[in-house]
Amino acid sequence: MKGTIFVELIKMAEDAFGEDTVDDVLDKADLENGGAFTAVGNYPCSELVKIVVAFSEHSGISPEDLQRKFGHWIMDHFVENYPGFFKDKKDTFGLLEAVDGEIHVEVKKLYPDAELPKFTTERIAEDHLEMVYTSPRPLVEFCHGMIEASLERFNEAADIQRCPVAAQADSAKFDITLTKKAGKAA
Amino acid sequence: MNEEPADRVSRRRYQREQMARQEAEALLEQKSRELFLANEKLSAHSTQLEQRVSERTAELQTALERAEAASTARSRFVATMSHEIRTPLGGMLGMIDLLSMDETDPAKKELLNYAKTAGVGLSRIVNDVLDFSKMEAGVFVFEEESVDIRALVESVRILAGSNDKGANRQIIAKIDASVPKLFLGDATRIRQLISNLISNALRYSTEGPIIIRAQATPHPKDALLRVEVEDFGVGIPEDKLSDLFKDFSQVSNALTAAAQGTGLGLAICKRIIEGVGGKIGVQSIPGVGSTFWIELPVEVVALPASNQNKTGSLEDSDSLESLVGKRVLIAEDNIINQKLLLTYANRMQLNAELAENGRIALEMFSPDKHDLVLMDVAMPEMDGLEATRRIRQKWSDRELPPILALTAHVMDAIEEEATLVGIDTVLSKPIPFDELKLALETALSRKPRKVETAAAPAETPSEDAPASGDEAPLLKLMSPGAVDELLQMFTVEDLSDLVRKFVLDSSLRIDRITAAIDEGDEDAMSKEAHSLKGSSLVLGFTEISEWARQIEDGKPSPDSGSLGETANRIRNKLQDMHALL
Repeated sequence: MKGTIFVELIKMAEDAFGEDTVDDVLDKADLENGGAFTAVGNYPCSELVKIVVAFSEHSGISPEDLQRKFGHWIMDHFVENYPGFFKDKKDTFGLLEAVDGEIHVEVKKLYPDAELPKFTTERIAEDHLEMVYTSPRPLVEFCHGMIEASLERFNEAADIQRCPVAAQADSAKFDITLTKKAGKAA
Repeated sequence: MNEEPADRVSRRRYQREQMARQEAEALLEQKSRELFLANEKLSAHSTQLEQRVSERTAELQTALERAEAASTARSRFVATMSHEIRTPLGGMLGMIDLLSMDETDPAKKELLNYAKTAGVGLSRIVNDVLDFSKMEAGVFVFEEESVDIRALVESVRILAGSNDKGANRQIIAKIDASVPKLFLGDATRIRQLISNLISNALRYSTEGPIIIRAQATPHPKDALLRVEVEDFGVGIPEDKLSDLFKDFSQVSNALTAAAQGTGLGLAICKRIIEGVGGKIGVQSIPGVGSTFWIELPVEVVALPASNQNKTGSLEDSDSLESLVGKRVLIAEDNIINQKLLLTYANRMQLNAELAENGRIALEMFSPDKHDLVLMDVAMPEMDGLEATRRIRQKWSDRELPPILALTAHVMDAIEEEATLVGIDTVLSKPIPFDELKLALETALSRKPRKVETAAAPAETPSEDAPASGDEAPLLKLMSPGAVDELLQMFTVEDLSDLVRKFVLDSSLRIDRITAAIDEGDEDAMSKEAHSLKGSSLVLGFTEISEWARQIEDGKPSPDSGSLGETANRIRNKLQDMHALL
């Protein structure tokens, strides 16, 4: 998994709990590299889970909630650092539909060995999108958080239903119905 | 917990950052190395590619050179072969000409005639194959010179009329006033096209005239010249039309079974006309006749240049100067050719002097002693080109008589050089008697070089005579429309003559039809009737044509009852006509 995710997760923790607390938690989390992550490195996903669990234990917030918050955080990070992907997107559906065919294509150019999740979308109606998220990693809440963050970004609101996909343990289906469309006044 | 300044970082945090940095640096180094290796591989690959490209280029270059060398060798071979074959052939034909001029025994004369026909046929095939090979080898060069189509058609017409097949045939030229007096084109090739079409017309028809028409219509390149050659012969079935212009194809029928040829004639015509940016085509009705046409865009020359020699421009055959008593210097080294040319000269009642080579010719020649010079090109000691060059140096143009070159070489190869040294006309060996005579007369007529007047262009030779009923009672039997139309092409006399031939021929034909009806040979009956139908229709004998159609279809008209009776009606009609002859 890309180092930038780890670096951002730690940044979020620092933002929430302060540097010293983060240092303490990382020391106790029994990480392979003692928590010395660099954005250009690659690390196993299990390490990410360890960090999330450690902060959950420390704060009492469930790992699921932490992941979801992290989804919001990372969305801000992406918008700030990769504005190109957002420039021509008008709403959340447009962004989600562009993940596999556009954003991940660019990621692959820089990191040919990156293992990326799959986002299969189907537009049921103008205000209704089905998206199947497929990844060997247990990060479905993280994904959920990112969708929420995106809705906020485009000043939209939606009802998000999540259910497992039959015979595909590594997949989850998001059923998104807009309740508020992207505002004209940006 | 001790108070640390907000901008201070703990040691463990510092160490963690240090480790992360080291890892990042190690990663950077590794990526750099990978990048370097990839670059190296890429440049090695591109070097290899460049090397392969240059190898391939060299291979292609070699292949191209080899192909060019092969093509050159082939052209040279073709040229050499044509020379080697045409020289002895020319000698043979000349000797045959001489023999038949002196021969009085009819039996031997006939044999000589056969020999001549075979020889001419062979010569035509050699020329066809040669032309074709030249086109294949891409060494066919098209000239651009001023062409006088009237003179050109006239000379082709006279020449065609002078050979066996054309001897008893009428060849009529109708050049429309729209045709420019002079235009730019390749006179040699246009002549070849027209004479090829005429010789086909003669070969594929036995009666009726051959009509050459020319007209011009506006075209972006000045004018579009259209030349048609029409015959009233066997015609061509529609399904054979598309094969007509293919290489080595001939339409077979009773007439061509005996006709010899390579089947290259029209294929060559097509290549020539396409080579000069034109088109060729044909309209044909079996049993009625064919019209072959060529169309080519030409550039009109506003004013005729003063010394257009190659066009063979002659205004009128009447104005040709007589050769009788003219003094000619013949330079020729080959004794057979000497004999041939001297005898020819004798026949033309020329005063001939012989020089065995170019050097002797140069010594012997004097402008006040000779009216014409006939110069072989390839001769020992000094060739004809060199001799001509020296003669031109010695005397001024004004003093010099026409100098004609004779060569068995491929014309293209020699023509340019000949023009450079100042030879007026290049003639190709073997040259038939009539052609040489015409060439000499033409050359003489051109001297002294008179300023060509832009006045009345040479019009068609036959002026339409007004139709007079008294002179041509037969014509009254024809449908008026047909008569009017035919009289545009024929004089009343010619037309009467044609009708006479028709009556005689048809009388024989109706006998054959009756015999076929009696024998129950439907096939023969139908074929003969078909032919009769076609020819009577052309001449406007509509009744006969209708009856013939009934016989052809095997359906007698209701009022006559039987085919035999229908045939009798035709016979009676023909007898009436015969009585008027």
